[in-house]
Amino acid sequence: MLIVQLAWRDLLRDRFFLLCNVAVMVGILVPLLVLFGVKNGVYQALIGEMLANPANLQIDTAGNATLSEAEIAPLRDWPEIAFMTPKIRAQFDYINVRATEGRRMRAALLIPTGAGDPTLPSGAELAEGAVAISAQLAAQLDLAPGADLQLITQAEGRPRQLVLPARVGLVLPEGAAAGRAVLAPYAVLDLVEAFYDSYSLPEHGIDGTRPLEDRVTAYEGVRVYARRLEDLASLQARIESQLGLGTTAHTREVESLLGLGRKLNLALAGTAVLAAVGLGAALVLGFWSEVARKRLVLAGIALLGVPGRQLALFPVVQALITAALGLVLSFALYALAGRGAQAVFGQGLPGGAPLAVISPAQAAAISAVVLVLVLAAAAAAAWSAQRLDPATVLREGA
Amino acid sequence: MAAELCIRSGRIALKDGDRAFRLEIDDLALGAGQAVALTGTSGAGKTLLLELLGLLRAPGAGTVYLHRDGQGGETDLAALWAQGPRNPDLARLRGALFGFVPQTGGLLPFLTVAENIALPQRVNHRPDAARCRALMARLGIADIAALRPGALSIGQRQRAAIARALAHRPAFVIADEPTAALDPETADAVLALLLETARAEGAGLILSSHDIPRMERFGIARRALVPGRHGAGEAVSRLQTVVPC
Repeated sequence: MLIVQLAWRDLLRDRFFLLCNVAVMVGILVPLLVLFGVKNGVYQALIGEMLANPANLQIDTAGNATLSEAEIAPLRDWPEIAFMTPKIRAQFDYINVRATEGRRMRAALLIPTGAGDPTLPSGAELAEGAVAISAQLAAQLDLAPGADLQLITQAEGRPRQLVLPARVGLVLPEGAAAGRAVLAPYAVLDLVEAFYDSYSLPEHGIDGTRPLEDRVTAYEGVRVYARRLEDLASLQARIESQLGLGTTAHTREVESLLGLGRKLNLALAGTAVLAAVGLGAALVLGFWSEVARKRLVLAGIALLGVPGRQLALFPVVQALITAALGLVLSFALYALAGRGAQAVFGQGLPGGAPLAVISPAQAAAISAVVLVLVLAAAAAAAWSAQRLDPATVLREGA
Repeated sequence: MAAELCIRSGRIALKDGDRAFRLEIDDLALGAGQAVALTGTSGAGKTLLLELLGLLRAPGAGTVYLHRDGQGGETDLAALWAQGPRNPDLARLRGALFGFVPQTGGLLPFLTVAENIALPQRVNHRPDAARCRALMARLGIADIAALRPGALSIGQRQRAAIARALAHRPAFVIADEPTAALDPETADAVLALLLETARAEGAGLILSSHDIPRMERFGIARRALVPGRHGAGEAVSRLQTVVPC
């Protein structure tokens, strides 16, 4: 398009004007980008550290309750729940573990698990008869994936121990489960509880005082993992309301961090709005004064028969080129500043996370906002260009 | 039959604060191939009449302004103004019908001489590089084709402006005091080139000047604007010569 080429050629000749406006943009955008990037980096590092421990998403019912399947069934459909498992009574969830044919035996916490449990590595599933064990337990019993082990429990007044054979499906990474722990399907825990409750378990050679068929399924409570940190507080309240039970969760710590993020976002948004007003005003005046300065050139183009509506594109094209250059330079300088800040201040972040982070989607959104701002700023100049009288060339000379 | 511009009952009124000015043209016909000089003192309305002719100024109410293309077609130019001064058809017709030679060239400073000359062709979607080269050769500016206007003398700029004004084969060339900024020798040379080139291209030439001797020397027909005064301080200028349409 002719007017685009003319605007581009004029801008190339008038590089000083271009650099002035680009400098104004860079001067305002780079500090904002650095602030935004550092806020993102620090906040994401803290959130990442929090998410690295699934316990921060966990909600546990407190105390021993008696819940029926009908009572907990609705929770299975709640979208904010990533994983839920019923629990057995707390006093029965310790067992002894030893490698089959092994001599050493260690007491370990028996934790119910299943597909989707955030305690397990992402995508991991336990095959039938398999359990996951903590790194500490694996080290102490010299167990590796595929090894056979026995889960042994002893109840008062029962002549025989309950011995459940299992296979190590996976060894959890350090930190995924504290101390010695065995993560097994809920059915294993249910069996242990039935054993404590004196039910007969003929498949395991246990004679009890009551037949297993008489046992009514009841849960002591539930262990739930929220899908997102943002869901934790509301989910906790919803569970308490649904089940009529108290719960425990790391809600205060999570809300405190999320609140910090919200406050930082608010402060940054306020700063960005003030900067946008300043940048907008500078650009409006800059583009407008340029049209006034170049009125003879623009009138000369109009004199040749270019309609006013096309002439209005002249400052708009120049504004867009200015914005594109300003954005490229701003992001380049932000990247440099981010590297510098990383070298100077970035060592203390958890997990070696980068200090300044702006995602591609955020960069695209920032660019779009800046382009819209620049287009809006060029509107006055476009209006002014459209109204130029081509006869100016004859009256004022060029 | 050649193309023709025709104004009848032309009235344009201007008001600037307390000052008022009115230009009156009873009857004026300008044909393609003719060269006409609008003469008069400063403030007589020469530029205003050029603006009216060049579709840069709206004709007053009651003014008849027609373009006849010489092949039986007629365009009511006054009616185009009724659709608004920023009507794109008006701009397009101005670009197609006229070539302009302002006092000091009016070239775009960021384009080379060659690009400036080709610009009206691009605006009118009629690129013709051979014609641009021929015009530059005829006007003796082929060797400065790659220079920008800032590097040219005023005489060179005027020659480039003449080439630009004729590049898209307009029916009429409008030149506003094209020799006013030039020394006498260069002025003669530029005017001779303007006349010769316009004549060779078959374009009508309408220029304004208060240099009557030079116009007479070049045999350019004169249309004089005579200033007067009317009523309560309103200045009136009237085109003396009546050329019936």
